[in-house]
Amino acid sequence: MMKKILPFVLAAALFGCEPSTKNIDTINDPGKAVMGLDYRDFERAASEMVQSMVASGAFKKEGGGRYVVAKGRILNDTMQRIDTDQLMAKVEQEMTRSGLVVMTAAVGAGNAPKDSMVHDVREIRDSDKADEFNKDTLQAKGQLIAPELSISGKVIQRNVRYEGDKQQVEYYFQLQMNNLTNGLVFWQNEIVLGKRGSNKSVSW
Amino acid sequence: MRLMLYVLLLTTALCLAGCQQQEKGVILQEDIASDTLASNIVTKPIIHAFSAIIGEGIEIDRAVTYVNKDGFMELEVAGHNRSFGTKRFEYKVEWLDKSGMVIASLTNKWMLTSAAGKSPFTIKAVAPRTTAVDFRMNTRKIPD
Repeated sequence: MMKKILPFVLAAALFGCEPSTKNIDTINDPGKAVMGLDYRDFERAASEMVQSMVASGAFKKEGGGRYVVAKGRILNDTMQRIDTDQLMAKVEQEMTRSGLVVMTAAVGAGNAPKDSMVHDVREIRDSDKADEFNKDTLQAKGQLIAPELSISGKVIQRNVRYEGDKQQVEYYFQLQMNNLTNGLVFWQNEIVLGKRGSNKSVSW
Repeated sequence: MRLMLYVLLLTTALCLAGCQQQEKGVILQEDIASDTLASNIVTKPIIHAFSAIIGEGIEIDRAVTYVNKDGFMELEVAGHNRSFGTKRFEYKVEWLDKSGMVIASLTNKWMLTSAAGKSPFTIKAVAPRTTAVDFRMNTRKIPD
């Protein structure tokens, strides 16, 4: 009888020990730091970048208006599979909301997110399918605004042996805003996030 | 009697050393500056223990805001760390518009900072919108 019950008792005990799943309070997250990059690191880096841009005073356009910015390449030189668009989306969102710049979805470097519809509707305009549309609602030629600035950067990771059983992981977030007309660097900033922890912690 | 005299002389010397006029704006940490009561090898444990018992920590001296030439409000919070050890903490600045509503922004996040022992520190923040007219700042201990 006991032999029959024991597996059920053990299974129930093990099931009871399983930690329960909780939603992260992203507003006041009391969670411990991790060796890899988590959402808090991206938010901190993006927040510091945006504040640096706003405080620089470099984006006040003479004669008013906003600079048109294209997305350049953000290189991921870390051991992690980081989607650099995740970082850039935050920076772009805040910079656009600040009223200093406006992002263009028409052009962008390499794999930078663009809106393919900008070009798709023009292909329709120039094809036989255009007959299906009201001509007045089709995008006229020469309407796209060329970017004046481009934002590009790099995320770098360096692993340093700290002590016997500890390691130091350094993450460098580098961003720069370049003037596409003359190639000059309008603004640039680097933010360093450093973490120290056990060698057993994996940072990739 | 002779021991008492030595202790008295040592205490007097340390007190006098501690009263020396330091250059304003230059902070000399323990083990760098000349000995004071707080840094002397004999008296240091007592002074440090006393500091810990009375719970010395961070104090804010002033919070100054100004609007920069682009119309964004900037904040500079100056304070000092009364304790002997480095205090690491997080702060969060929220910006308020003219109706007192919090301006939703990515910059309203907990940010890391620290203040060295017995030293001043400064926290700077920039409003993400030109509509910010006021701020509020919160602090918390870094989660263990």
